[in-house]
Amino acid sequence: MNFIPHTKEDISKMLSVVGCSTLDELVSEFKPRLSELKLDSPLSEMELVSYITSLSEKNSTMKYFAGGGSYDHYIPSVINHLVSRGEFLTSYTPYQPEASQGVLQVLYEFQSFICLLTGMDVSNASLYDGASALAEAALLSSAHTKRKGVFVDDGLNPEYLKVLQTYCDGTELTITNTIDENTACVISQTPDFYGNIKNPQGLIDKAHQNNALFINCISDPTSLAILKTPGEFGADVVVGEGQAFGIPKSFGGPYLGFIAVKQFLTKKLPGRIVGMTTDNQGNEGFVLTLQAREQFIRRERATSNITTNQTLLALTATIYLALLGKSGLQNVARASYHRAHLLHEKLRKNGFDAINTNPFYNEFIVKSPKLSEKIIADLMECNIFGGIDVGDNKLLVCCTEKNSLQDIDSYISAVSK
Amino acid sequence: MKLIFDYTQSNTKHTPSQEKDVDLPEDLKRRSLPLCDVNEIQIIRHYTELSRKNYGIDTNFYPLGSCTMKYNPRVNEDLAKLPGFSDLHPHMPASHAQGALQVIWELEENLKEITGMDAFSLQPSAGSQCELLGVMIAKKYFAEKNQNRTKIIIPDSAHGTNPATAAMCKFQTVTIPTDDRGNMDINEFKKAIGPDVAVVMITNPNTLGLYEENLSKIKDLAKENGALMYCDGANMNALLGISKPADQGFDMMHLNLHKTFSTPHGGGGPGGGAFGVRSFLEDYLPVPRIKKENEQFVFDYNKEKSVGKLHSFYGNFGILVRALSYLKSWGSDIQKVSQIAVLNANYLFSLLKEDFDVPYDRRCAHEFVLSAKNFGEKSTINIAKRIIDYGFHAPTIYFPLIVKEALMIEPTETESKDTLDEFAKVLKTIIKELREDPELIKNAPHTTPGRLDEVKAARQLNLRWMPKES
Repeated sequence: MNFIPHTKEDISKMLSVVGCSTLDELVSEFKPRLSELKLDSPLSEMELVSYITSLSEKNSTMKYFAGGGSYDHYIPSVINHLVSRGEFLTSYTPYQPEASQGVLQVLYEFQSFICLLTGMDVSNASLYDGASALAEAALLSSAHTKRKGVFVDDGLNPEYLKVLQTYCDGTELTITNTIDENTACVISQTPDFYGNIKNPQGLIDKAHQNNALFINCISDPTSLAILKTPGEFGADVVVGEGQAFGIPKSFGGPYLGFIAVKQFLTKKLPGRIVGMTTDNQGNEGFVLTLQAREQFIRRERATSNITTNQTLLALTATIYLALLGKSGLQNVARASYHRAHLLHEKLRKNGFDAINTNPFYNEFIVKSPKLSEKIIADLMECNIFGGIDVGDNKLLVCCTEKNSLQDIDSYISAVSK
Repeated sequence: MKLIFDYTQSNTKHTPSQEKDVDLPEDLKRRSLPLCDVNEIQIIRHYTELSRKNYGIDTNFYPLGSCTMKYNPRVNEDLAKLPGFSDLHPHMPASHAQGALQVIWELEENLKEITGMDAFSLQPSAGSQCELLGVMIAKKYFAEKNQNRTKIIIPDSAHGTNPATAAMCKFQTVTIPTDDRGNMDINEFKKAIGPDVAVVMITNPNTLGLYEENLSKIKDLAKENGALMYCDGANMNALLGISKPADQGFDMMHLNLHKTFSTPHGGGGPGGGAFGVRSFLEDYLPVPRIKKENEQFVFDYNKEKSVGKLHSFYGNFGILVRALSYLKSWGSDIQKVSQIAVLNANYLFSLLKEDFDVPYDRRCAHEFVLSAKNFGEKSTINIAKRIIDYGFHAPTIYFPLIVKEALMIEPTETESKDTLDEFAKVLKTIIKELREDPELIKNAPHTTPGRLDEVKAARQLNLRWMPKES
């Protein structure tokens, strides 16, 4: 397939304007020249579709009872239609606000939604994913407190912990076991990786007594429709993964990191921020603002090196939240909660042990009476991905509004064989 | 202007009603959710209207320098959305995700061939996360060799992410000035290079759109001093099938998949990062790696030297599907992309040379930089805004920082000669207007809203909508 419009005549006319006789002469400076390029022959669109489709068919998609950082919520049809519009899809970072009011307003609405849901004052326009958003929050805390200690509460998603550890190693922060005068931040995920809903008040107080920041991490933010906001509890920073808001699971990415802070940390935020302003006639409009924090101006003194973000996915989440509205979000959260509790109850009656010590939202841990590998394999036979094996025959199970009562019955019958 | 929050309550229901409240302790429950339920068609109209207030490659020529705004083939969107990819849960065992692992593996193989690097990781989310990875690898590599190297050399024409990344990892940045041919000044480089330098970070072609003429000497000096050579591959669209960064002497590099490999820019992302290394650095790449064992693809977490993990899962997988699709479309013809990208840039440069100040008068690569300094201060911003009135997106402006009143123009290979002719004509008209009717240009663009007040935005912060009650 070829996406170049030039005819042979165009090329020769253009070469003569440039003063070159061949295309090869034009790039003669680019050395060393490669001797060979071992790539396959080009494919036509039809051949390409057939080939890539054949790869997609080697994957198994199932009825999912698994979360662990990626959630199978229903995605309303309208989202794809709107997000696919070329005006959004093929634009870039709104450096020229007058040619980018659409994307800028969307991001302003996204920031507003994130603030409303988390109970925080200020949000940025998105980060890469939940894990790197958490790492950016740790860096923000270190810049604010001039300290290097990072305390992590039990129950953080282990993948997030690995990413945090990688960032800490590279940027000379240390993950510690104590909260003291060297602590930059206290990190806690709720609901945690095992589903436990935690009351963070004690940890928040302890962080603040030591002049450290408290960072609340959220894995499935549909939970915010029913849970008391981290802002109300007193969190200084809220970060998380926005995939649950209408973004396909897509084997783990691209997803949507978000970060929101209390007012006093506004200028420490990483990444893009959109603000409302006026034009020379007094008309309202939007621009990228507080750019003096960013790498392209501040270079080595920037708050972060981040440049590209996840705008199209922030658009997806914004449309998702607009479409569901108040009652829709509450319905999703309540249905996810009730389905998970129903399955939990049925599993207990079928010989599984309950493990969670706290109330849970839509994920929970059970200990299987049989080998967990066997349980997972039995479920897969019935086209059900039944949960994440977390060791010691324990399964991390998740429900969303998509898991019907019938699916739950199929799950139970598969595990009670 | 109307925000989504300004619409009123409707009776629309998108989800099955779930009246039963949850059974949680009161101190954990949310008290209010200040949103309303908006009718579906109103939402469609709201966001359709917003889309119409936005320039994209699909609506306008978008010559934003350094960003490679080329046509995004639509079929790649369809392919990334195939249910076998989009509905695939990342916790599925590798045995049930063989197609996905094959996508990653094949893309790695293609990128190895194009760049000459020995191994790739596709886990980073974007170019700047690749840079972070590169600097982390350098830090670990030298720590293991017990070498205390504290500096990273970066030319003054570099993207801001380069020094920002170096600083994140506590390295000291040594900035090398640009010589009068637009190269990194070799004499200044000779003074700066030494046993305390960890990395030499170079964008090639550089952000002036020029091929680094001293690259071979720089590489030799870096190697003599034991420093690693990092290639910021943001400008790889000039080199596909022509020259390989590994052959140029680079030890590690990154590619921006949303630029060179045409995965859409999406209003600012998601992008995709691909990070390549020579074999001696392969063990430091993030885990998991993907291995082919007896015709099966498996995840390999068993890498003791790895710097760790950068992403919740395996990177921006949906972007990787698009990039592989793009590469398969081009296959062994890929050098045409760069040949025509370079031709388009040089052609447009030739058309505009006589109208502007040209800071470095050399043949350019895939982009070029003009200066509007002869038209007075702030001419560049005025020209950029006036370009919008003529229906084009503006080029990158005021970058690189070393060129006064800079306009950085990257046409890409997918624009026709006619479009370039038209764009050149518009710029020539604007220059005429600058002389004849300067007020017209100062007040551009003549759109609604018109030129927006960025100073006010930063001073009187309004970063979100607030509910009326509070």
